[in-house]
Amino acid sequence: MNGDYAIETDGLTKVYRSAFRRREVRAVDGLSLRVPRGATFGLLGPNGAGKTTFVKLLLASVRPTAGSAFLFGRPCWEAEARRPVGYLPENHRFPTYQTGAGMLDCYAALSGVDAAERRRRIPELLELVGLKDWGDIRLGKYSKGMLQRVGLAQALIHRPRLLMLDEPSDGVDPVGRIHIREILRELEQQGVTVFINSHLLGEVELFCRDVAILHKGRLVLTGAVKDLTLGKGYELSAKSVPESLQAEVLKLPGASSACVNGAFQARFDSRETANRTIDLLRSGNCEIDSLAARTSTLEEVFLAAVKGQDGKAA
Amino acid sequence: MKRNLAVTAALVKDTFREALARKVFWGFYGLSTLCIIFFLFILKIDLVEGATASVSLFGKTADQAINPAEFVRTVCGAIAVFLYTWGLALAIFASGSLVPGMLEPGRIELLLSKPLSRAHLLLGRYLGILLVVTANIVWLVMGLWVILGLKTHIWDPSFLAACASALFIFAVMLGLITLLGVLWESAALSVMVPVALMLLSPILSQSKFADRLLSSEWSRQLYRVIYHMLPKVYDLGHMTLEIARRQPLPEGAWLAVATTALFGCATLAGGLWVFSRRDF
Repeated sequence: MNGDYAIETDGLTKVYRSAFRRREVRAVDGLSLRVPRGATFGLLGPNGAGKTTFVKLLLASVRPTAGSAFLFGRPCWEAEARRPVGYLPENHRFPTYQTGAGMLDCYAALSGVDAAERRRRIPELLELVGLKDWGDIRLGKYSKGMLQRVGLAQALIHRPRLLMLDEPSDGVDPVGRIHIREILRELEQQGVTVFINSHLLGEVELFCRDVAILHKGRLVLTGAVKDLTLGKGYELSAKSVPESLQAEVLKLPGASSACVNGAFQARFDSRETANRTIDLLRSGNCEIDSLAARTSTLEEVFLAAVKGQDGKAA
Repeated sequence: MKRNLAVTAALVKDTFREALARKVFWGFYGLSTLCIIFFLFILKIDLVEGATASVSLFGKTADQAINPAEFVRTVCGAIAVFLYTWGLALAIFASGSLVPGMLEPGRIELLLSKPLSRAHLLLGRYLGILLVVTANIVWLVMGLWVILGLKTHIWDPSFLAACASALFIFAVMLGLITLLGVLWESAALSVMVPVALMLLSPILSQSKFADRLLSSEWSRQLYRVIYHMLPKVYDLGHMTLEIARRQPLPEGAWLAVATTALFGCATLAGGLWVFSRRDF
C-alpha cells in the first residue's frame, strides 16, 4: 500500500448481523477511497449512510467484514498505525470526574506523549481553543461547545499528522465555529491531513478542498469541491426588462428566465446565448446588474448525488 | 518499554480518579478506617510479665488470664475471616461498575483510537482496579496489625497472610467481573454473579455431604467437576483462618489455590478475547 496516502481503503465492507433474526445491515459496502497526505477532506452523507462506521473501521473500533484499510501505509488494525492520528468522536463522553487539564494529560499519556511535553503542551492547547482559565475545572461543568473545544485540544495533544473529526462543530456557536475553522486552516498550512465527517454541508464547503459522498454505505461521488460545484452556463440579473423583451430572451436556445423580487433573472447554457441576451437587453436600454458563471452549492451536488443513487436503486 | 509503562500508569491513574469520583474509594477507605478505630478503642490488653494478660472488650474484662499469643492468634483469625468475606464482598460491589464504565459509548471509541492494544487497555483497567482494592486492604490489614502489635507487643506476620489471600481471591473474582463487564456491560450483573459464586462456594465445598446426598455416580462426578471449575472462596477462607492461627493447612489446600487461580486466568483470558473481537 502507498504511504503517500493518509487514508487508503480497498473494498472496505462492514456487515452487521443480528444474532436472532438473521438480518443483515451493510453499513459500509465495498468502499475504496484514497485521501492524500495534507488534504482537507470531507466525508458527507445522510444519516445512516455509514460515515461513522467508516471512521470506526479506520480506527479499529469496528472489525471489517471484508476489505482493507491503511493509515499512512500501515494496516489500520495495528496499534502503531493510530499513533499519528488525532480523533474527536461524535457524541463523545469525556470522564466528568476529570478536569480539562487532567483529561488532556490522561489522553496525551495514552498517545505516548512524555511528561515534560505534556506540561508544555496542555496550557498551550487550552489557550489555543479558548479555555485557558478552565483547565482546573471539572468537565462536568463545561457547556457542550466547551466540551467540543477541549475535545479538539485532546485530538491535537500529540501533534497528529491526521486529524479525524466527527461532527466537529456540533453544539458550537457561530463564533466558536469560525475559531475552529481558523485552527484547522493553520493545521492545514502545517501539512496536517484533516478528515471531517459531517452532515453540515456548509461547514464542509467552507473548509474542505475534497469531498466524498456516501449513501447507504456506498461511495456515490468523490472529487474536489471546486470541480463538483462548478456549474455549466451563465446567470444574468437585470432591471426594468419589458415583457416583450423577456419573451424574446426566452426564445433563445438554452435560455430560461424568472422574475425574482422585480428583477429579471435568466440562465443560459452557452456563452453565445448569454452574449445575444446582453445585446438584446442593451438595445432595449435595460440595466444589467450582474453576469456570472453559474455554480452549484455543495448542497445541490449532494442532493443530486443522493437522489441519483436512489433513482438507480428504484 | 518506558512508553508502555507510562501508558499503563495513565490507565491506572485514570481508574483511581474514577474510583475516587464515584466515592468507591472513599466508601471503602472509610469502612476500613472505622474498623481500625473500632479495634483501637474497644480492645484493651494489659500484659503481665509477658506471659499472661487480662483482656477487656467493650470495657468488660475477661474472667481468666489468657495467653496473649493465643489471644492474638484468635483475634487475628477472626479479623482475617471478616476481612476475607466482607472485604471481598465490598471490593466486588466497589469494582463492579468500573469495567462497564470504561466501555460507555463515546468513551471507548476514543480510548480505542489511541496507539495501544486492546489487551493493554483492558489489562491496565484490571490493574487499576486491583490497585484501588489493594490500597484499601493493605491500609486495613496493616492498620489492624499495628494496633494488635502495639497493644500486645506480639508482631505475628502470619496475620499479613490475610492480606495476600484476600487480594488473591479478589484478583480471581476481578477476572470474572472483567469478563462479565466486556460481555454485557452491566454493572449489576458484574456484581451479582461473583457474589452468587461466593454464596455457592460453602455449599460446593461440602464434598462428603454431597457424596452422601447424590445417589448416582454421574451426578457425583458432575458435582466434582463444578467444584473444581469454580473458585473455591470458602476453602481459601478456611486456609486464611488456619494460616492466621498458625495451624497446618487442610488437605488439598494447594489444589484449591491452583484451580482457583486457573479460574481467574481463564476468565481474564476470556475477557481479553471477547474485548479483542468486539465492535464498539
